[in-house]
Amino acid sequence: MSGGKEDEENDRKEHKGSWGDFFWNPRTQEMMGRTFKSWGLILLFYTVFYAFLGGMFVLTMYVMLLTLDEYKPTWQDRLTTPGMMIRPRGESLEIFYNLQDTETWDRYVQTLDNFLKPYDNSIQVQNNDNCIPDQYFIQEDSGEVRNNPKRACQFNRTMLDFCSGLDDRYYGYQEGRPCIIIKLNRVIGMLPGRDGQSPYITCASKREGVTLGPIQFYPPNGSLNLMYYPYYGSKAQINYTQPLVAVKFLNVTMNKELSVECRINSNTLVTGNQRDKFAGRISFKLRISA
Amino acid sequence: MGDSYRVTISEEANADRSITKKRKGVKKDMDELKKEVPITEHKMSVEEVCGRFETDAARGLTVAKAAEFLARDGPNALTPPPTTPEWLKFCRQLFGGFALLLWTGAALCFAAYTVQVFSEDEPAPDNLYLGVVLSAVVFITGCFSYFQEAKSSKIMESFRNMVPQQALVIRDGEKVQINAEQVVLGDLIEVKGGDRIPADIRVVSAHGCKVDNSSLTGESEPQGRSPDCTHDNPLETRNVAFFSTNCVEGSARGLVVATGDRTVMGRIATLTSGLETGQTPIAREIAHFIHIITAVAVFLGVTFFAVAKALGYTWLEAVIFLIGIIVANVPEGLLATVTVCLTLTAKRMAKKNCLVKNLEAVETLGSTSTICSDKTGTLTQNKMTVAHMWFDGRIHDADTTEDQSGAAFDKSSPTWLSLARVAALCNRAEFKAGQDALPVQKRDVAGDASETALLKCVEGLCGSVRAMRESNALLAEIPFNSTNKYQLSVHETEDPADGRHLLVMKGAPERILERCSTVLLQGKEQPMDGATKEAFQRAYLELGGLGERVLGFCHLLLPEDRYPHGFPFDADDVNFPTEDLCFVGLVSMIDPPRAAVPDAVAKCRSAGIKVIMVTGDHPITAKAIARGVGIISQKSETVEDIAARLGVPVDQVDPTLVVACVVTGAELKDMSAERLDWVLREHKEIVFARTSPQQKLLIVEGCQRQGAIVAVTGDGVNDAPALKRADIGVAMGISGSDVSKQAADMILLDDNFASIVTGVEEGRLIFDNLKKSIAYTLTSNIPEITPFLLFILLSVPLPLGTITILCIDLGTDMVPAISLAYEQAESDIMKQPPRNPKNDKLVNERLISMAYGQIGMIQALAGFFSYCVIHAENGFLPALLPGLRVLWDDRGVNDLQDSYGQQWTYEQRKILEFTTHTAFFVSIVVVQWADLIICKTRRNSVFQQGMRNRVLLFGLFFETALAAFLSYTPGMGVALRMYPLKYTWWFCALPYSLLIFAYDELRKLLIRRNPGGWVEKETYY
Repeated sequence: MSGGKEDEENDRKEHKGSWGDFFWNPRTQEMMGRTFKSWGLILLFYTVFYAFLGGMFVLTMYVMLLTLDEYKPTWQDRLTTPGMMIRPRGESLEIFYNLQDTETWDRYVQTLDNFLKPYDNSIQVQNNDNCIPDQYFIQEDSGEVRNNPKRACQFNRTMLDFCSGLDDRYYGYQEGRPCIIIKLNRVIGMLPGRDGQSPYITCASKREGVTLGPIQFYPPNGSLNLMYYPYYGSKAQINYTQPLVAVKFLNVTMNKELSVECRINSNTLVTGNQRDKFAGRISFKLRISA
Repeated sequence: MGDSYRVTISEEANADRSITKKRKGVKKDMDELKKEVPITEHKMSVEEVCGRFETDAARGLTVAKAAEFLARDGPNALTPPPTTPEWLKFCRQLFGGFALLLWTGAALCFAAYTVQVFSEDEPAPDNLYLGVVLSAVVFITGCFSYFQEAKSSKIMESFRNMVPQQALVIRDGEKVQINAEQVVLGDLIEVKGGDRIPADIRVVSAHGCKVDNSSLTGESEPQGRSPDCTHDNPLETRNVAFFSTNCVEGSARGLVVATGDRTVMGRIATLTSGLETGQTPIAREIAHFIHIITAVAVFLGVTFFAVAKALGYTWLEAVIFLIGIIVANVPEGLLATVTVCLTLTAKRMAKKNCLVKNLEAVETLGSTSTICSDKTGTLTQNKMTVAHMWFDGRIHDADTTEDQSGAAFDKSSPTWLSLARVAALCNRAEFKAGQDALPVQKRDVAGDASETALLKCVEGLCGSVRAMRESNALLAEIPFNSTNKYQLSVHETEDPADGRHLLVMKGAPERILERCSTVLLQGKEQPMDGATKEAFQRAYLELGGLGERVLGFCHLLLPEDRYPHGFPFDADDVNFPTEDLCFVGLVSMIDPPRAAVPDAVAKCRSAGIKVIMVTGDHPITAKAIARGVGIISQKSETVEDIAARLGVPVDQVDPTLVVACVVTGAELKDMSAERLDWVLREHKEIVFARTSPQQKLLIVEGCQRQGAIVAVTGDGVNDAPALKRADIGVAMGISGSDVSKQAADMILLDDNFASIVTGVEEGRLIFDNLKKSIAYTLTSNIPEITPFLLFILLSVPLPLGTITILCIDLGTDMVPAISLAYEQAESDIMKQPPRNPKNDKLVNERLISMAYGQIGMIQALAGFFSYCVIHAENGFLPALLPGLRVLWDDRGVNDLQDSYGQQWTYEQRKILEFTTHTAFFVSIVVVQWADLIICKTRRNSVFQQGMRNRVLLFGLFFETALAAFLSYTPGMGVALRMYPLKYTWWFCALPYSLLIFAYDELRKLLIRRNPGGWVEKETYY
């Protein structure tokens, strides 16, 4: 097959010689293997083609969006167990700080200050209702007539008591008795309790034989009152205020890392999802150095 | 036998030098071959030969000497061609062509993963998985093709004659049977009819010895051997017999003058194994394809590397993106698809008796534009058969077909009965015992080739020859010899009451005619006149012109009064008349073409393939067979034909007018390479006669210089170098020599030339279908890459993950892609010219433009639409997605807010993300339905083509079932991170699927409506 090989070599030689020609071949008036007219036609074709495709995509998207409900997503089956989260959350849920070093805990304090600002009583009273506790605050639409905007219940900052940051500006961080705020993720239409029983949060050490020491919940019992549920979505319930539970560690062993797991206790929510470590529970670490 | 052979062999140098651009390796081999040519022993006297080898013409070597020579020269066996070790063959499968691309991809993946391990806390294992999967794919496919080829070579092995060959040598004056490998120089050897000659020997004595040199020279007639030197050229002289040729009859003694690789056969074998073979056309196409794919991959990678940098990603991230994009372009499943498609075709061809030794050679016949075919044994049956008879002043056609299905002639003439009687009686050939059940043509015969032909002819047409011979007892016989050139015998007549004797004679026609004074016409004896003689001359010339060997027959009833019952006929001292006989007729014989050949040649012709005959046989025979099988068509004339018709000298004929030509080896050796090119270019119908093995090589190379893809068919050792050098060598499975099978890429198990047509058809079909298969597979590359690009550009949650990409490439796409190999041809591919290897590429820019730029883009949109639908229906409206990536992929964020104000944990939204991957995957499956259907045809509408391809229907079902299985099987969420889809999500891609179908039908309609128009120029792949 010597012939074939030589041909290839010749081709390659020619190719090298015509490398410049490839970009602009003055003989055939070709740029990169095509004449201007040919380039024009193919570019025109692709422009029209892609414009058409774009149009088709927009059309299908438009039709799809028409099928959506404004107030509630079509599917919620991924959110059957609401997630839980803490504030401050620190680096990957680790709250480590040094009592002596102000800067190490000051950022937590600032986070909490910012986070709790919307809960100031003045704002709450101005926007939200004072609802009847221990029962759902149902505001159904009557058929096609939307009952909007929906009201939300007050969650006043003072309800967090020692963890409200009002009396103790440092939320106990300065004295080694830090407050950590726990919240349950918002899920539209979720009813977290039955028979007037509000769900409540408990915390425990994840390591056996290690105790957390005394802890205090605010509001008492760490309960999330039923009056804050159900949630009607950000569009219908603009001023919704997410209920919070603060947990205050009263006597933490210094210089020792604590593994804390808090979970929701409810007679309707299914918990215990093995894969999702944040569904209905949350784990975090706490260490205070002296 | 002309002297052309001498010139071709001894002056090979000239021809060699004239081909200037020859590779060095070949030249060296040729030189070596030339150096060893001089067998000079044929010109020496027996004593001189004995002196040279310290042997004795009567007692042979002494045992001690023999042992000494054996130790010095080594065993008398051909060095087997350097066998590639198995591990090397395996490595070739692992690292050839396509595999290399995948290895590169795997290496890049591992590199990217290493970078990630050192730079990230929790590196995503995707790159690691991908690298492992890529390596596994190459490895498994490599194993697959290795075993596939190993199977073919095992079938090859079974052909080889495993019985060790024996040789009868005379040492110390005693005959001993030894293993042929033990034969040494100077050994005195005895061979008899049926033996294979164990080494090159100088004949010292012979008794009616004939050898069959057809595998060496291509002559189908056995050649006589005698102790006399009749020619300077060792190949022509009668006193040399060659290693591995067969002694067909008689016996001879000879001294061994060359053994093993130093024999003439050995030199050709060495030359053959020294030749390098180039890439197969399909390998070249795949290399071209890899160039294109690599260019696209690198272009995309570098572009998005720059874009990523501009968007503010770090160097490290940008490099990982770069690698990711390059690897995403590698079609993981294509290697396996191509291998399986080729294997399927190889199997299909094996069923039709074409055994392919090398998978890639499956397609080569399809690209073939020139077939150089050997004559003897390939185009012809390699056995003499009676072709014509002349009696009663007319030529009658005999049936030459293998199965006796041809036309018969009028057998009622009494002259024919006389002729048959002469042919049967004056004939020493006999059927071997115990074959009565076999058809006549298949029976084995002991005897000379032409007598065999006569015997079979008479047996077939007139019934038992043995009975005829028994009723006509033989009384005296004069065997054929070269001086009187006739054979004669005297018999009793079949009528016991008739006391007369019958004298029958056959021989060279002109000699027979000389001895006749009367002629038998319509059963009546008539005096021989001028008109009869003239008619005889015409018939003789005509039959000779057909390349047939003609024999004359005559008889005489001896008068009872002078030769009464019991007359002592004496054959040595002839006491009966041998003149004034009665001429009966002529019978001509030829090695006839195989029945299927003319049809096959015609099919090759209409498929635009040039068929050239290259033979070692005589020009007249070659030309006659060429005409017989249509290599030279009925209307075409050669220069010589025109000259003869017009009655002008040959050099006055305008050579540009002729399409056919016959070139002999002698002419060929004087030709320059340019002249040979001219001959090959300007003639459509070419016959090369009297060519040497080396010249066959030159012819093949000449054709390849024209840009042709050349197939060579042959069965003999003399074809082996050409078989090896050809783009595809096709050897004969039954009659082919081992050397030729070794050199070939394909073997016709039934020796049927017509199988080549099957090969061409299958080869062309698989080329077309591979194109479709690749177009199908490549299309899904775009919906696989674009998600990653958008992930980088818009920072959206990843729409399609590595695992799902692999599920497409190695799962759902596989069976449909393979099913395209079963697709029927769109039009009669055997009516089109072979593809032009320069322009008609397997994968060209148009295919890429279609697959990537058009269909692939529609598919990508389908996927993105599903992606948007699922996100939107779960709460993440499209407007929210851009820029969401950073928070989305942050494990610490477990309260990510969606468009409705709900909050999602990391795991919850990852399940959603993997659900979108599953949906994207399912969308690709749905749009690949349409892609599969449009890839069935390149020009025709699907409505013209139909949906008869059952494997393809199964493919559609399979990919859907697999997609459903992957999505809905419990536990898939853990195993592959694929989640069940809502049923409505299956329909998201459907509008796009319909669009693909409609768009492509429209495109193909435009192509059909405007042949050569813009649409065809830009989109017909």
